[in-house]
Amino acid sequence: MRVGPVRRDEATAAFFDGTARSERLLFRCPAGHFSPPYAQQCDTCASVDLVSVAAAGGASVVSRSVAHQRGGDRDTLVVAELDEGPWWWSKVIGAEPEQVAAGARLTVAFERADEESEAVPVFRLA
Amino acid sequence: MAERSAAIVGLGMTELGKVYSRTAAQFAGDAVRLAVADAGLELGDVDGLLTSAGVSGGVGLALQRDLGLRDLRLLSEMQSYGSTAGQMVQYASLAIAAGMAETVACVFADAPLRQDTSTGAAYGARGAVGWRGLLGAAGIRDTNSLYALAAQRHMDTYGTTNDQLGHIAVGQRAWAELNPQAQMRTPMTLEDYHASRWIVEPFHLFDCCLVSNGGIAVIVTSAERAASLARPPVHVLGWGQAHPGHAQRRHEDFGLVSGAARSGPAALAMAGLTVDDVDVAELYDCYTFTVLITLEDYGFCPKGEGGRFVADGTLGPDGKLKVNTGGGQLSSSYMWGMTPLSEAILQARGEAGERQVDRHDVVLVSGNGGVLDHHSTLVLSPHGPAGRSSS
Ligand SMILES: [Zn+2]
Repeated sequence: MRVGPVRRDEATAAFFDGTARSERLLFRCPAGHFSPPYAQQCDTCASVDLVSVAAAGGASVVSRSVAHQRGGDRDTLVVAELDEGPWWWSKVIGAEPEQVAAGARLTVAFERADEESEAVPVFRLA
Repeated sequence: MAERSAAIVGLGMTELGKVYSRTAAQFAGDAVRLAVADAGLELGDVDGLLTSAGVSGGVGLALQRDLGLRDLRLLSEMQSYGSTAGQMVQYASLAIAAGMAETVACVFADAPLRQDTSTGAAYGARGAVGWRGLLGAAGIRDTNSLYALAAQRHMDTYGTTNDQLGHIAVGQRAWAELNPQAQMRTPMTLEDYHASRWIVEPFHLFDCCLVSNGGIAVIVTSAERAASLARPPVHVLGWGQAHPGHAQRRHEDFGLVSGAARSGPAALAMAGLTVDDVDVAELYDCYTFTVLITLEDYGFCPKGEGGRFVADGTLGPDGKLKVNTGGGQLSSSYMWGMTPLSEAILQARGEAGERQVDRHDVVLVSGNGGVLDHHSTLVLSPHGPAGRSSS
């Protein structure tokens, strides 16, 4: 399974509406700073005047780790820096862990565990 | 330093580890009763109570009733994860300095282990809903993954290696062999470390702390009163906290610098000491990496040199610096911030038995919570603040 199932709650409803359209949403303030989708205020200037915008989809690896499952499967986990600035914690699919190093370029993808689950943003090597 | 300085005069530790007979609340009550008795006091002498619960919850304000404590002047439940224990001692010391309370019990207890579930399950169970659920759905299911990402960034940036992290695990195991209470006392070599299974690279099993049931409490009172009690007082000479409030964005120093960089120097300055004066360091060690970054941030070695520092004969009973002398959370038991604090008290008192360090005039204690998000520091000593006639 590439991603696990996840359900929306009130706080994540707008975000998952976005992932359903294959969009990873960020917030942007009037000064043009980007903040993560769970922000209450701009994390650069504290503006609460935030609008949702779709991230362009490019990112690079800040750090990566390899989770080992009991059955022998390996998951490549990353802290990725979106080109807009905010970080995002997720996994890289479609590549061996050894191919994913700090600084590697990534592109966003969306995966669902099943029909009932929300779409989860993940990364592929660009 | 406040006018009335404080000292730790009682330590209570229940049986720790795979102990299934008690709830967290019962462990908490046991620990406070043991600490009060250790100090040579009665429960009726306690006029302040600070409680701290672990993942299993269940340790809170009701402990007052469980212990029959009447007319408390200070009572609160606290939560800053692994930095809480150090913080409880700080707030107790402030309350005592202000004359608000005279004898404060600080307690942590947890019982995450169940006889019929794995240790992983104790910390891993989470419903897949909302932001937290999203993280889990993407494969980041536990704290191990988050700290692994922090550690790997340090390794990529400074050249820190698994071999160096292994020296921390091996050094602490050697200390644990001298600690009859430690859960893991089988000798460990670097080869054993490398052979232990991967959890989340760069962490092997032996990079990760244990999971334990139990409770630990300490009693804090005025240095003045401490002088007439049963145990050698352990004076609280300095303290600090730091909560960096990292944003998740470009240019953050996640994995490279922790709150220890501010908290440690602040605590030592309050005590009028420097890192060179430290005889014993009891450092929060949820992972080997946490020890390494704390050593750097406290200034025992330059930033980025932690790996070389720990691999250079620094650790273990024969090492140059006495670090985590009971085996720590990696090899003794995992009572959050109470693990380093309790060992610091034993060392400062000179009561650590076979593992007692000869020079123990200055004992530095760290607490760390979240993913390097919260830090607390204590400077403890068998001697009172300089220039005071407190003992
Ligand atoms: Zn802004």
